[in-house]
Amino acid sequence: MSQKPKIKMAVYWGAACGGCCVSVLDVHEKLLDVVAAADLVFWPIALDFKYKDVEAMDDDYIDLTLYNGAIRNSENEHIAKLLRKKTKILVAYGSCAHMGGIPGLGNFSDRKGIFDRAYQTSESTVNEEKTRPQTETKMPEGTLTLPEFYNDVKTLDQVVDVDYYLPGCPPQTERLVEVFMAIVTGAELPPKGSVVGALEKTLCDECEREKTDEKVIKEFKRPWEIEDDGKTCFLEQGVICMGPATRGGCGARCIKGNAPCRGCYGPPSTATDPGAKMMSAIATMIDSDDPEEIEKIIDQVVDPAGTFYRFSLPSSIIRKTIV
Amino acid sequence: MEEKRIGVYVCWCGTNIAKMVDVEAVAAKIAKLPNVVIAKDYKYMCSDPGQEMIVKDIKEHKLNRVVVSACSPRIHELTFRKALENAGLNQYMFEMANIREQVSWVHDNREEATIKALDLVKGAVNRVNFHEALDKRSVDINPATMVIGGGVTGLSAALELADAGNKVYLVEKTGNLGGHVANIDLTFPGLNSAAEVLEPLIYKVNNHPEVEVYLNTTIDEVFGYVGNFESTIKSGGKEYELKFGNIIVATGLTPFDPGKISSYNYEKLPDVITSLELEKMLKEGNVVKKDGSEPKKIAIIHCVGSRNADYHEYCSRVCCLSALKFSNQLRSALPETNLFQIYADMRAFGKGCEEFYASTSKKDVMFLMYDQQGDLPRISKAEEDAGYEMGIEFYEKLSGEDIIVPADMVVLMVAMEAHEEAKEVAHAVGISLCGNEFYIERHPKLDPVATTTDGVYIAGTCQGPKDIPDSVSQAKAAAARILASIARGTVEVEVTTAVVNEDVCCGCQTCIKVCPYTAISFDEEKNVSVVNEILCKGCGTCGSACPTGAIRARHFTDEQILSQIEGLFSKEMQEV
Repeated sequence: MSQKPKIKMAVYWGAACGGCCVSVLDVHEKLLDVVAAADLVFWPIALDFKYKDVEAMDDDYIDLTLYNGAIRNSENEHIAKLLRKKTKILVAYGSCAHMGGIPGLGNFSDRKGIFDRAYQTSESTVNEEKTRPQTETKMPEGTLTLPEFYNDVKTLDQVVDVDYYLPGCPPQTERLVEVFMAIVTGAELPPKGSVVGALEKTLCDECEREKTDEKVIKEFKRPWEIEDDGKTCFLEQGVICMGPATRGGCGARCIKGNAPCRGCYGPPSTATDPGAKMMSAIATMIDSDDPEEIEKIIDQVVDPAGTFYRFSLPSSIIRKTIV
Repeated sequence: MEEKRIGVYVCWCGTNIAKMVDVEAVAAKIAKLPNVVIAKDYKYMCSDPGQEMIVKDIKEHKLNRVVVSACSPRIHELTFRKALENAGLNQYMFEMANIREQVSWVHDNREEATIKALDLVKGAVNRVNFHEALDKRSVDINPATMVIGGGVTGLSAALELADAGNKVYLVEKTGNLGGHVANIDLTFPGLNSAAEVLEPLIYKVNNHPEVEVYLNTTIDEVFGYVGNFESTIKSGGKEYELKFGNIIVATGLTPFDPGKISSYNYEKLPDVITSLELEKMLKEGNVVKKDGSEPKKIAIIHCVGSRNADYHEYCSRVCCLSALKFSNQLRSALPETNLFQIYADMRAFGKGCEEFYASTSKKDVMFLMYDQQGDLPRISKAEEDAGYEMGIEFYEKLSGEDIIVPADMVVLMVAMEAHEEAKEVAHAVGISLCGNEFYIERHPKLDPVATTTDGVYIAGTCQGPKDIPDSVSQAKAAAARILASIARGTVEVEVTTAVVNEDVCCGCQTCIKVCPYTAISFDEEKNVSVVNEILCKGCGTCGSACPTGAIRARHFTDEQILSQIEGLFSKEMQEV
């Protein structure tokens, strides 16, 4: 590496599963290149820094922050705002920070609905006192606090200004390395607000399955219900695949594993709402003119909201259920 | 980027809008929106001074976008687009908010109507911010015309066009020219022979050097657009590739099936016949019962399938006069026979028709009125020794009594229905039907023979029930419209077509099947879909089906539509 001064880098998780942090570790031996070029100044999953250490930093002290996870509670938001202040380049890393991700499906309910389910009605729960998490609990020893659980999930850019988006659940590690290297080598960066580490075209472009215009669906099927020949477009086999409405760049790894695309890379710049786009596209494929039959065919789609908005609900036009 | 400068014009439409919408308040509020440079209200925006005001403002205030909030864009969008052009602005930098049909005419609370009008104008202003200038496209008009339907309407239209030296392809589904008029003996009110009307037309058409007649031929699909249509037709086992610039649809009517009205016992009682069957008997000069004997009592029932919510609410317009015509013919053919007209309302409008009614009523015909709103007459077989075949039982409205009319023969004046294949033809040529399956005209008063598809005209009974003179008038009107376009030589076509962004298209091919005009093909080499702009009619179906957003329907982009929705629902200025 050059003699350039090392850049300062942070990785943080908001409402996330941890997969994004693992994807950073997945750089394997390239980690040596990363640490040669960057000092990690904050990374809760791997390194023992405290929030107060970040608070003590000067503004713009950190060159690059990869913020993964959505904004589910007040802590997520607080740290997002703190890191924004301390960081030059803030990247929404992974589907949750980018579009809300899997936690974003919580927007089909609200705080009360989620708490009732999690702490009361779930089959394995006994909670006769109807205890719920509280932001403040007075104890003899003093007051205990918890972050406030919000009514809905937000994307990172719904609470702070975001410089770039690096999509995926999790992002492909190779893409991360490419983006990281571009930053440390001082390559010309794309315009602010760009989606990086992904293609402008959607997945079908790089998917090797054979596609025709014969996308006519008489029956929706789940992947286990078909005898997949490994070659034919999933949609042409009646299996919902989000590939047409989802950016490529992942290397079609799900497809290569004979699973349809779930949409984690999000929409191309030309489509604001991939769920709506895909529903509209799928609707045109239904092979019937009879309203009753169409209804029956549509009813075969298991969990349509979760299928079409699996990763994108908080960033979509509908954003959340109005309860 | 060029600064956006929007002018907004709120029309009073006399009192049409102003009585229910506070147009001054709307203009005053809208003036405060971002990019709105000027907002005015005016009595009649569509008037010359109204249009001149827009032109003047565009020049004076350097406006580059205009919103007119007035009536339906179907009526005046083109008017205002022209005004923009006159001021040197691209015609697509315009948006219309309909605050008459969608607001003032349908609401009765002035305050709420004003808020709704404001919302619609906000939507329009938001949208026009995203409008893009689109280039005009002018195409040559192919002077040939396809006329679909060889009845009196199609024949008249074909001759009008051909006599002016233009090629006409006349396509007729059956094996004969003449349509329903060929089955008519005499016409009303003059009692002239229908053959005298029809035969010369058929002769001329068959011998005209500019007319090609295709019998036993139907149209599956028509491609192209005004000025440049094409279609492959199958006739006599051969295929013909026809190219033409305009289309006249004159597919005519289908008679109502009276079997649907059970109380008439059509086809159950032998001597209950339709008006068409009587025409045939009169033409053959042999009005007899099924057993060959002469009917002594003939009853004619009106409005069979017409003016009745269970069948057709509309009036079929020719049956009253046809029934009177029958009375005249029967009175001559069978002087001793009792004739009954069982009618609901006598509608004898039209030149010479009321006079015809008056003279017929003096010819020993009994007129009896049944109640269209009550039970329909019931026809049943009479007792063996009654001295007549059937009894027609009904409440006679004028006398206020339930009566039974004796009859040996009952004639049902069946309604006119849209042609049974109207839907297929509509799909083939790309026009629309109204609720009762007649074709819908572009404007009921100001553009009665045009359709919303440029270059496709409708004439005759396919547009609605009418008699021969009205059908022929429409035929000639449609022909005149086409002759005018041929004389101009070129036509401007809409450029609001779909376009594929090849940098985004992923090659999923979802769009190809959804295009109703087969305008999209797949480029294997580039792995992208390609829209043929010549075939594209800008319906937008592909744009909504495209999962990537690679297909943009010009002038109806996601950005434009979403911004309009946003404006419509924005919470700003929700009180007046």
